[in-house]
Amino acid sequence: MIAEFLTRVRFLIFRKRRSELDDELRFHLEQSIAAKVAAGVSASDARRQSVIEFGSIETTREQCDRQRPGWWAGTISQDVRYAVRGILAHRWFSGAIVATLALGIGVNTMVFTLVNAVLLKPVPVPNGDRLVSVMGRNLSGDDQSLAFSYPDFQDYRTQATSFEFFEAVSPEAGVISEAGNPPQQYELNRATAGIFTMLATKAYLGRAFLPSDELPGAAPVVVIGYRVWMERYAGLPSVIGREVHVNGHPATIIGVMPKGFRYPDEVDLWMPLIATADLASRDNRSLRGYAILKPRVTSKMAEAELNGIAGRIANQFPADKGLGMSALTFQQRVNGGPIRIVFLSMLAAVGFVLLIACADVANMMLSRSMNRQREMSIRTALGASRWRIVRQLLIESVFLSTLGGILGLGLAKSGIHWFDLATVAIRPTWILFTMNYTVFGYFAALCILSGLLFGILPALRSSKTNVVDVLKEGTLSVAGHRGTWLSSALIVFQFALTLVLLTGAGIFVRSFLDRLAVNPFIPADQLNVARLHLPDDRYKDKEARIRLFDQLLPRLRSIAGASHAAIASDAPGMGLANEQIELEHVPIANPAERPWISFIAQSPGYFDTIHLQLQQGRDFNETDGASNREAAVLTRVAAARFWPGENPIGRRFRLFDDKNKPGPWTTVIGISANMVQDLQENDHKPLLFLPYRQEGWDNMALVVESAADPLQAMRKTVQSLDGELPLNQPSSLKDTIADQLWFLRVFGEVFLAFALVAMLMASVGIYAVIAHATGSRTREIGVRIALGATRRNILFLVMRRGLWQITCGLALGLVAAFPLTHLMASLPNGSLHSDPSVIFGVALTLASVGVFACWLPARRATGLDPVRAIRYE
Amino acid sequence: MPTSTDLLQGTLDLLILQTLALQPMHGWGITQRIQQVSKDVFQIGQGSLYPALYRLEYKGWIKAEWGNSENNRRAKFYRLTVAGRKQLRSEVETWDRLSSAVGLILGRTVEASR
Repeated sequence: MIAEFLTRVRFLIFRKRRSELDDELRFHLEQSIAAKVAAGVSASDARRQSVIEFGSIETTREQCDRQRPGWWAGTISQDVRYAVRGILAHRWFSGAIVATLALGIGVNTMVFTLVNAVLLKPVPVPNGDRLVSVMGRNLSGDDQSLAFSYPDFQDYRTQATSFEFFEAVSPEAGVISEAGNPPQQYELNRATAGIFTMLATKAYLGRAFLPSDELPGAAPVVVIGYRVWMERYAGLPSVIGREVHVNGHPATIIGVMPKGFRYPDEVDLWMPLIATADLASRDNRSLRGYAILKPRVTSKMAEAELNGIAGRIANQFPADKGLGMSALTFQQRVNGGPIRIVFLSMLAAVGFVLLIACADVANMMLSRSMNRQREMSIRTALGASRWRIVRQLLIESVFLSTLGGILGLGLAKSGIHWFDLATVAIRPTWILFTMNYTVFGYFAALCILSGLLFGILPALRSSKTNVVDVLKEGTLSVAGHRGTWLSSALIVFQFALTLVLLTGAGIFVRSFLDRLAVNPFIPADQLNVARLHLPDDRYKDKEARIRLFDQLLPRLRSIAGASHAAIASDAPGMGLANEQIELEHVPIANPAERPWISFIAQSPGYFDTIHLQLQQGRDFNETDGASNREAAVLTRVAAARFWPGENPIGRRFRLFDDKNKPGPWTTVIGISANMVQDLQENDHKPLLFLPYRQEGWDNMALVVESAADPLQAMRKTVQSLDGELPLNQPSSLKDTIADQLWFLRVFGEVFLAFALVAMLMASVGIYAVIAHATGSRTREIGVRIALGATRRNILFLVMRRGLWQITCGLALGLVAAFPLTHLMASLPNGSLHSDPSVIFGVALTLASVGVFACWLPARRATGLDPVRAIRYE
Repeated sequence: MPTSTDLLQGTLDLLILQTLALQPMHGWGITQRIQQVSKDVFQIGQGSLYPALYRLEYKGWIKAEWGNSENNRRAKFYRLTVAGRKQLRSEVETWDRLSSAVGLILGRTVEASR
């Protein structure tokens, strides 16, 4: 058995030598002759008869060869040899094809890697494929991310059977402070003690939680993240055991988590979730759940079980009426909605790019297949079957696309690296943009499928030739109408797709540039912003907070190099508050019909700091906003909105808070120029400015105008008043706005790159086709010139087809692009608006590039020397 | 068409294996022996003999070695391998079963081949 198998394997690998069979056959023939001679036939007759009896040696040879197991593999390797020879014989041609495919396959591999990481790949922890995020949801299902209460959590945990682990966290801001080290704010999670066990992660230094840490009365402990350890404690091992304050309460650092570990949601500090009396109420909903499903339990099944328990709890406790639960993977929880749409549309965009690339390559192959008709006819005449020729051509295509794909893989790697750097600040750390087997499978499938896709039409075409016709016609044979039709259709298709892509990219870029150009009067690079949060245990009331800000303001103004300083609820473009407004003498009975207005609370001097012009009236002074001195400044559009055609100064209005309680009557004291406060809207919306002492909020932005970086001085100034107060999110306004716009910037760049690649391909495609057509009509053009055709006649003759194709392509593209703009405008983040100018702008650009690509070969045709042209070929 | 060639091929393979069971032989010898034993009923041309020999060799049932012929010429001798002997036994069994079945259908007394 084994010997038989080995023999087979041996023959599979080694061929028998040809001469061996020849020797054997010769011996056979000689024996036959000898036998005849022995029977009395004359030597020459014996030889003649034997040879006739013997028959065709070649057939026997082939028959013997075909007995070999796997003999057909030999013909494939023959095809591969033909293919390689064909590729090497037309080096420039093949190079162009490989480059086109490298771009097409490269961007696809890149985007698929991103999509895989964002939407598919399990979270990179042990059992990450079973890790789910568990949160409450309302029964209508439109909010899936509600927190739940501690008693609810305990009920779910004891009753649910779907989970191997089920832990909960309560997120909050955590200010860590200690003597001699300025306070800093981090992301703190109070977590049930099993959180690290669930994620199968041990502390890098010291220890993680023990079950005893979460018992009431346990010594308060905190585990810090690697980043905190490095930034705040310079990586010193002595940090373990250090006594610190977290949010003003003492705690001991017991451990440091490994680098990159920030689970469950970008956490820097972990403290045990201790069941306080506060948490015992079912109304206090502050927890988010995380769980590992049991093997073979899906998140849907877990969700169904949780909802069953939720129904029982709701029957028992009225506080929980109408609450359900949702169990989603991290991808579903974090990257649902617009992110998902954007990434999938990115995948669609590069799909288009690859289609364009394939159409391009198909066109190149098609024009060459017309040149190769003679070669194919000869091979057919020599007995190659049609299938054999198609197969060989397809092997050639797949070979080319694989070469292109391998080059493209390098391209994809650098693209992924770029995207990784561009999004490192804003994406969750568990999203790792790395390739895995899924990506490689996708990549391999792309290589083979695109090879077949662009190869099949040209291969079928060039194999379907009438041998006699082509051989008779000689070299001047030009493509039949079918080939021309096919390549025209491909060009039209390319231009249509490119227009759609360019429109998408144009909308992104236009929106981004619009946002950047917003509020041109603000010197964003000179403005430095940091937020200050006054904790309510030390700043209990409005007066205490206003006192601190009153003390802080003159000190900020006296920072060396600072030209202006002010305090505002939100820096320009960084957010706003909204309340309902009612004008004096214009009461509105139904609260639902009251208009909404956006407003900013600010200190005196804010207008000067952000260089917003006061057009009428005056800025706030130190007493505005005190009781009975309520005042407001309106932007020009706000004034026109509420008091059209009147002077609003001296008029009064009041605001209603979210409990529908009216605030004091407020007098308008000034009118400012318009500005955009909400970057998402990018419109001069009506805006109100109120004095900060009128609101007395606990979380304000400090804004300092200074050419030099004043952030250190700002921090010192704040901590000279209160050593426990950290500065949050310190940055220049320019950087902060750029961060706000990362979505538009990054995806604008991505889509623009894809669209430009597509445009390049489409132009090269039309250029190649026209150049080839012109080349094969050289003689005809020569004759026309000789007969007196003008330059314009020739230009028109050569370009006519190209211009038609571009026109059709653009028309088709416009039909598809308009729905796209609507789709993009309807994306939930609302930042992508477009006017028709974008579409017509890109259509015009594409048309000019296309016409230029046609004009290049046409110009050469007009310059032909008729005498030489007629002798051409 | 293909079924009848398959039948013929299978029969030829059986004849070759049976012939080689007695002693190693070269290709010419095999044709002569089969012709002689079958009283000139089977005359095997080289066009079917050598592909069959190659097929059997690839399957590992026979093995080829170069040796010297009776008149001292270099010739390729084929001999049965262990696997070939086993194959021959099972093919003979199949043949017996088949031919007796065919005989029954044709209404002949089963005297069979042996």
